[in-house]
Amino acid sequence: MTAIPVTSVRTPGRLPRPRGLLWAVLRLHRAALVVWGLALLAAASFLFRLAALADEAERGDSACAEPATDGLPSCTAVDAITADETYSTGIAFVTACTAWLIVPVAAWAGGALIGRELENGTAHLAWTQSVTPARWLAAKLAVPAALLTLGTTGLVLLNVWARGADNPNLVGDWYHPDVFVGTGPTAVAHALAGLALGALAGMLLGRALPAAGAALGAALLLYNALDRYREFLWPTVTRDTTGWEAPRSAFQVAADGSELAFHPRSHFWPIQYVESGILLTVAALAVLAAFRILRRRTA
Amino acid sequence: MTALSLRASAAEPRTRGPRGLVWVMLRVHQSALLFWLMLVTVAAGGLLWAYGPGADAAWAEYSEAGCGTTTSGFDCDMYGTAFQRYDNIVGVSSGLLTLVPLLTAAWAASALIGRELENGTARLAWTQSVSPARWLAAKLAVPAALLTAGMLTLTLLHRLMWSAGTELHEAWAVRAWDDSAIFLTNGTTATAHALLGLAVGALVGLLLPRALPALAVASVTTLAIAGALVELRPHLWPTVTVTSTDDVPAPAAVVRDGALTSDGSRIPLPDCLGEPGCLTKHDITGYYADYHPTSHFWPLHLVETGIVLAAASVAVGAAFWLLRRRTGGAV
Repeated sequence: MTAIPVTSVRTPGRLPRPRGLLWAVLRLHRAALVVWGLALLAAASFLFRLAALADEAERGDSACAEPATDGLPSCTAVDAITADETYSTGIAFVTACTAWLIVPVAAWAGGALIGRELENGTAHLAWTQSVTPARWLAAKLAVPAALLTLGTTGLVLLNVWARGADNPNLVGDWYHPDVFVGTGPTAVAHALAGLALGALAGMLLGRALPAAGAALGAALLLYNALDRYREFLWPTVTRDTTGWEAPRSAFQVAADGSELAFHPRSHFWPIQYVESGILLTVAALAVLAAFRILRRRTA
Repeated sequence: MTALSLRASAAEPRTRGPRGLVWVMLRVHQSALLFWLMLVTVAAGGLLWAYGPGADAAWAEYSEAGCGTTTSGFDCDMYGTAFQRYDNIVGVSSGLLTLVPLLTAAWAASALIGRELENGTARLAWTQSVSPARWLAAKLAVPAALLTAGMLTLTLLHRLMWSAGTELHEAWAVRAWDDSAIFLTNGTTATAHALLGLAVGALVGLLLPRALPALAVASVTTLAIAGALVELRPHLWPTVTVTSTDDVPAPAAVVRDGALTSDGSRIPLPDCLGEPGCLTKHDITGYYADYHPTSHFWPLHLVETGIVLAAASVAVGAAFWLLRRRTGGAV
């Protein structure tokens, strides 16, 4: 009965604007949409400002001598440059926010996206409006997933660009947890895993606050577990350290006498791919489980 | 009518257990209570382990490898497994303590106040012989008592861990007394911050009477307050100054440093990129650093505790005032 007028509204020849489920999801979660948009805007403009500081920051990090000799600037002069501090604090802040995105995303997905809808009964209302439960959940997941993927990818690309020459004194070593997660595709995989875990927690618990809490806990656990076992995600390189000192770029894993096991910089991408693969698998399993629970609930 | 019959039943003598509002509080929020007990247990266990077996094992490993002596070898460049474990446990325990204000604010804004106002269960309570002011007072007093008891216990355990582990941390050059997490959890400030979290959460819950928006706003507010206090912290007590003629002195916990001119005035380090004689041109005769010695721990700590508790009282006052306005003075 209600279904008929809804379909008749969807006549062709209207201006292209979001319709149907897409429109419903965007409209219902407009607060989250606005927050995400504003956060991206703020991060992007901040990164542009930081990128403009990069050269000055590089000068502030230069080698120095006291008094100035051999083309080396005096240490007093180098100390006087404060751009390097502003630059590295700023980059570290944006990178940390990107890396930890999984936590707020999971809490939001568990609480506002799914849990509250089931608790209030608005989900049941939606399912009577010519929307099947499966399509409802699919839209609930697809729209935020698309926005998160787009936004996080942009953020990571801008961040990598603003890092300039990637001087570890200024922007941190590649194997630092925040830097590793915040500068590669893993950042996107983390956010998506957070969304899926949140959705699963929401479907399981069916109440906003417990679901938000459980999703937050699960996201923290996943993040820290990956952080702890990241070094085992790819085989290390072993080298004898007699007469050779490991460079700073070596992610040292274990030392046995003079044998050092480490990840060279070139392992960044393999580890990124393996970690993203793990996260996307976790996300896929969580989504699958969420759909199964939905089927059981509505059967 | 309902009030009368309830009052009659409440007057019946009960044998044991908490009664009335306190009982309602504990019953409604039993999962939060369980979570808090679990958090306290885990953090206390971690701190006690780090104080005893953890520190012993890390020291044994340190002296076995001959670190801190002239013969110290490659093994001393990287943390040993025992110290790594010690460091992890100390980090997790201190981290849990620093998370408490944030978790408290999020919970207070959503589950304690926001959800009750959103669902109308608060209004239901107000019809059951409980005035809104007494309802809010119970909502704040019970968690405040539990938070204070738990946080003070954990703070004492943290002090125990830190007093035994200071040298170990110095030996490996990690964590100093002025590190944010260590400073906060070594005294009364940790408890004050947890209470501020509760007060801010309650105020936000009353301002935005919906569970999830209140949760988000309270979390962000508490993070911002914690960040602002970290910035403010070094300026809460007068610093001690040390001067030097050849280089910028670098004691621990530096607040400000720069150059001195011949007439004794302080200037920022000039931009002398490679210029010979530049220092003389700027009339620089020495350098200074303002810093906090270890003895400033308690003054800094007590001032911050005072500020945080004052802020918490203001938030609680605002919450009661708001409630009175909302409920039309029916207190």
